[in-house]
Amino acid sequence: MLAIDDLTVRYRTAGGEIEALSSVSLKARKGSTLALVGESGSGKSTIALAAMGLLPAEAMVPSGRILFDGADILTMNAEARRQLRGSRIGLVFQDPFSVLNPSLRIGDQVGEGLVHHRGYTPERAFARAIELLDEVGIVKPEAVAKAYPHELSGGMRQRALIAGALASEPELLILDEPTTALDVTIEAQILDLLEDLRVRRGLTMVFISHNLGVVRRIADEVAVLYAGQIVEQGATEEVLQRPVHPYTKGLLAAIPRIGRRMGRLAAIPGRLPDLRNPPTGCRFAPRCPFATPDSTNPQRLLAVGDRMVRCSSAAALRDTSWPVQEEAVVAATADRSASEPVVEVEDLTKSFVLSRGALRWEGWRPVRDAVSITPVDAISLTVAPGEVVGLVGESGSGKTTLGRTILRLIEADSGLIRIAGETVSDKPQSALEAMRRTAQIVFQNPDSSLNPRKTIRELLGRPIARFGLSPKADIPKRVDELLDLVRLPAHYADRYAHQMSGGEKQRVGIARALATQPNFIVCDEPVSALDVSVQAAIVNLLADLRDRLGVAYLFISHDISVVAHLADRVAVMHHGKMVEIGPAEQIMNAPSHPYTIKLLSAVPRVDGPALARREVVAADGLA
Amino acid sequence: MAAYITRRLAFVVLVLVAVSMLVFGVTTLLPANVAYLILGSFATPEQVHALELKLGLTDPVWQQYLRWAGGFITGNLGESTLMNRPVGPMLLEAIQRSLMLTGVSFVLIALIGVGLGIAAALRHGRPLDHGISVATYLGIAVPEFFWAIVVIIVFASWLGWLPASGYEPISAGVWEWAKHLIAPTLTLVFGHLAHVSRLTRSSMIEVMQSPYITAARAKGLPERVIVLHHALRNALLPTITVLALDFGRLMGGIVVIETVFAYPGLGRLVVFSIQNRDLPTLQAAILVVAAIYALANLLADLLYARFNPKIRFGRNVA
Amino acid sequence: MSPEPTSAPARPPRKPMPLQLKAGLAITGTILLLGLLAPWIAPHPWDTISMRTRFLAPNATYWLGTDEYGRDVLSRLLMGARLSIGMGVAATLFSLAIGVPMGLAAGYFRGWIDEALMRLADVLMAIPPIMLGLLVLAVTPPALWKTALAVGFVYIPPIARLARSVTLTLANEEFIQAAKARAESTSYILFREILPNAWPPLIVEASLRVTYAILLGSALSFLGLGAQPPSSDWGLMISEARSFLDRAPWIALAPGFAMCLLVIGINLLGDGARERLDPRLKARLGKA
Repeated sequence: MLAIDDLTVRYRTAGGEIEALSSVSLKARKGSTLALVGESGSGKSTIALAAMGLLPAEAMVPSGRILFDGADILTMNAEARRQLRGSRIGLVFQDPFSVLNPSLRIGDQVGEGLVHHRGYTPERAFARAIELLDEVGIVKPEAVAKAYPHELSGGMRQRALIAGALASEPELLILDEPTTALDVTIEAQILDLLEDLRVRRGLTMVFISHNLGVVRRIADEVAVLYAGQIVEQGATEEVLQRPVHPYTKGLLAAIPRIGRRMGRLAAIPGRLPDLRNPPTGCRFAPRCPFATPDSTNPQRLLAVGDRMVRCSSAAALRDTSWPVQEEAVVAATADRSASEPVVEVEDLTKSFVLSRGALRWEGWRPVRDAVSITPVDAISLTVAPGEVVGLVGESGSGKTTLGRTILRLIEADSGLIRIAGETVSDKPQSALEAMRRTAQIVFQNPDSSLNPRKTIRELLGRPIARFGLSPKADIPKRVDELLDLVRLPAHYADRYAHQMSGGEKQRVGIARALATQPNFIVCDEPVSALDVSVQAAIVNLLADLRDRLGVAYLFISHDISVVAHLADRVAVMHHGKMVEIGPAEQIMNAPSHPYTIKLLSAVPRVDGPALARREVVAADGLA
Repeated sequence: MAAYITRRLAFVVLVLVAVSMLVFGVTTLLPANVAYLILGSFATPEQVHALELKLGLTDPVWQQYLRWAGGFITGNLGESTLMNRPVGPMLLEAIQRSLMLTGVSFVLIALIGVGLGIAAALRHGRPLDHGISVATYLGIAVPEFFWAIVVIIVFASWLGWLPASGYEPISAGVWEWAKHLIAPTLTLVFGHLAHVSRLTRSSMIEVMQSPYITAARAKGLPERVIVLHHALRNALLPTITVLALDFGRLMGGIVVIETVFAYPGLGRLVVFSIQNRDLPTLQAAILVVAAIYALANLLADLLYARFNPKIRFGRNVA
Repeated sequence: MSPEPTSAPARPPRKPMPLQLKAGLAITGTILLLGLLAPWIAPHPWDTISMRTRFLAPNATYWLGTDEYGRDVLSRLLMGARLSIGMGVAATLFSLAIGVPMGLAAGYFRGWIDEALMRLADVLMAIPPIMLGLLVLAVTPPALWKTALAVGFVYIPPIARLARSVTLTLANEEFIQAAKARAESTSYILFREILPNAWPPLIVEASLRVTYAILLGSALSFLGLGAQPPSSDWGLMISEARSFLDRAPWIALAPGFAMCLLVIGINLLGDGARERLDPRLKARLGKA
């Protein structure tokens, strides 16, 4: 159906030419799903744009062909390409929030392909759009068709986009991270929908994702991309269960598994090579524990069994697994119940008024009443010294608000907060000095959490100076210690935030929280913005610090598997309420609350029983 | 929508009340003595006192303000201290002439400016775009009064096609009337075109690079449909606000232009009343300009709301 | 275990200086330098009346000709440069000094402070700038420093609005939460965390405001409400030359072109600086 042959794409940028794709060859067979997997910078989205003939003006294609039904998309004229797009090839983008035109009705946007490719009248196209919306599982298709994008939730928008891509009955559907912006339960619904459509319509799909769990659920075949090259390609289950290329091994080992507690995750050291000047040998060699002298030579895709692997030692590495460092973690797991908790929260409640009774729309219905939400609804929680309490929930469940309310960065409406034995909920902000030193926070977004105008030395020195923890002369030494603690070299002290990678910034964020020698840290989605391999390293660092310093965490994440890996106890939040809390093992293996069960069943996994593709998760379309 | 309009209207009224206080406050409180300003420095204290009594300047300030504002609402704008005739009719005449000038200029600015902006955006980075950019740079950099003088030198002194200044009513013949309008209009359009076209250009470029335009391309829509149906609607939204702002700038622009071309409109009246210390006229004229400006802004807000579904239908809670 | 690299050089290559910025620096710098050196490099006295040299067209002695009092136009132009630039810069500094604290306070504290300050700005912005300037100047005898003050006053609201919108976005950044989480004082957060990040867009805006201020100030001088004769303020020069457009257009054209050049120079400077703004800030301020 779609065959990509020796495709190389370069982008002209201010800093020089970047080779986004190097000689990539792929085939998507009719009626099957091919997944393209890779971390950021792997070039996977460039493939989607190239296949649609939508590469931006700065892109150059020095070599390659993209054959769709035998015709080369790259060389055909613009008009022929346009005829193909939307009519025989559909594309679904990652971010449902920005790819819908804000000033056109959903129905018009879903149906417009029909007007231009099939000669429908706008009215007929609109009527067909309603049918399509119905087909993708939207409950009130007429009303949604008349709605504007901002009135819909993310899941509904993604459904509408899929409906639009299907309108002219394309043979090939290219999906670029279609579920990344969505919550897991919605993601599960969309994946089921796609699988259903593939079966019913005999669609061919190219599915691009960074999430191996998602890929396992949807794809027949998978191609793993690294730094613009395919490093491994084969049947999905084969590749995910018995990876051969070192990168694939590392990627899989870095993913925390639910229900299997490990001491530490495997992390892939190093970072992507500079694509302005990619190495001629194996691009993964600098990060590869199995690298041999031969790795510096150009690597070709070799057949290993049924699959293709770009590694000269592939055959030898077939059954070797990624080295996992099992640091014995018997340490500080002392009897925690005996000591007094470091954090105690009782009946904590916080609500926000969203609108004071003006006209508003709920979905598409007009409602006129005061609207308030209660993201923290009578929550009680304790955290013991050195304990990690995981807090999971989907977007809007109130987990971030809870974390910040405990630290009094958001003022609670009612409830009691005790930190290190001190009741802090009734004190004015000016009397929180002691608490501010004991309880700290690590943020989600490494770009936003470090002041871009300050050096790392200033960033880390300030908390020490602020609380007078060291004499002024000793502060540089203390900063060096902190950098060492988060495993950054001392010369980083003179860098600014923009001179570091995301993972490094997150390390600085952790070091800043540690600067005041706290007993308790709220970790607010500390790894969600990072690639899997970097995420593993940060999770390991947090685990090490807990063991070494005995600091307790409230670890907030939407990613249950990360929480399951790190936490001693897990709390599940839903609509501001804590629906379940208990030891991690118990929550993961024997959840009792229906919402927890639903959440866990929706998580796409890379292990466990194979392909439960038809699992149905109760829908709740409108957010 | 109705609630929105009511709210906006109430806000306009509030702004106008505040502006009237400001105008009145500045003109009444700051100067040491208005009577002195009127009579000149040779006036005797007796003359000054008599005039103060006549003008009610010995009353408490708030009484003076209420009297003035009350008069304004009932249509009595006071009496010009210089001309000794009611401000109202004089102002009305000036407004008509000025609106004629600004109205024609505004329509031209809107049409040409938006047109140039879109043309430049669609040829982003190509010669036409660069040409328009350079031209608009000049438009922004050149002071209006200098434009006016260049127009006079070229069209009046050198070519002799147009009169250098003045105004003829339409009763004196359409061509006579139009001839006197061309030069000031030309100057106003030159000076204000750049702003609109630059903004339209950048907003259009931003929209053309947005993900939903890529998505529209991915649907294989013809480029014409993408530009007209998908892009223009969103790109012109900020332009609406800017056009209203520019109408206000035009109302400022006429001050200079009408002075240079000796065009007897609102702007010249303002300068004239300042030069001659005619406070009632000055107060009324500035308040009227503020009112026109506020109404233009209101209109823009309503148009914006009309074309922006996010405002039209409130916001989603999700 | 050292999971992440320590070697890779992370500093991205510095972008070359945009052409606009170079051109802007060259033009503005030259005019500024000429203006500052005017008393020493002016070929003739700028204010000596000489009836014998009236209305001379540009020639070898008087490069830009002479005016109705026989004064050398070039010398007056050079002396006027410092007035124009000085007026524009002084006015802008004044509006920064008032507008930035206003905007910081409004954006950080929100609530009624924000409401009050921004409604005040709305009221001031409801009057076209030139009329507001006229209003302020109407009641006092004209002088150039008063014009500068009036112009500065007129441009407080836009500066305050920009400062507010920058502060609003910055106040939501996580590093502000981090500062709160270590109990930093409000003044530390405002002046040590927010302000250093707010400067780049404010300075770019201010540089563009200088051009508006120069144009507005010269328009007020042109209307007789700024510099007074025999000053060689460019706006005033053009105004005085109006009566002689037929006979001696160079008297008006010279200061006119000089002003265009200056404004273009500063505009290029501002736009070039905007290009070089931290892209993150640029993205965030895209809509501001």
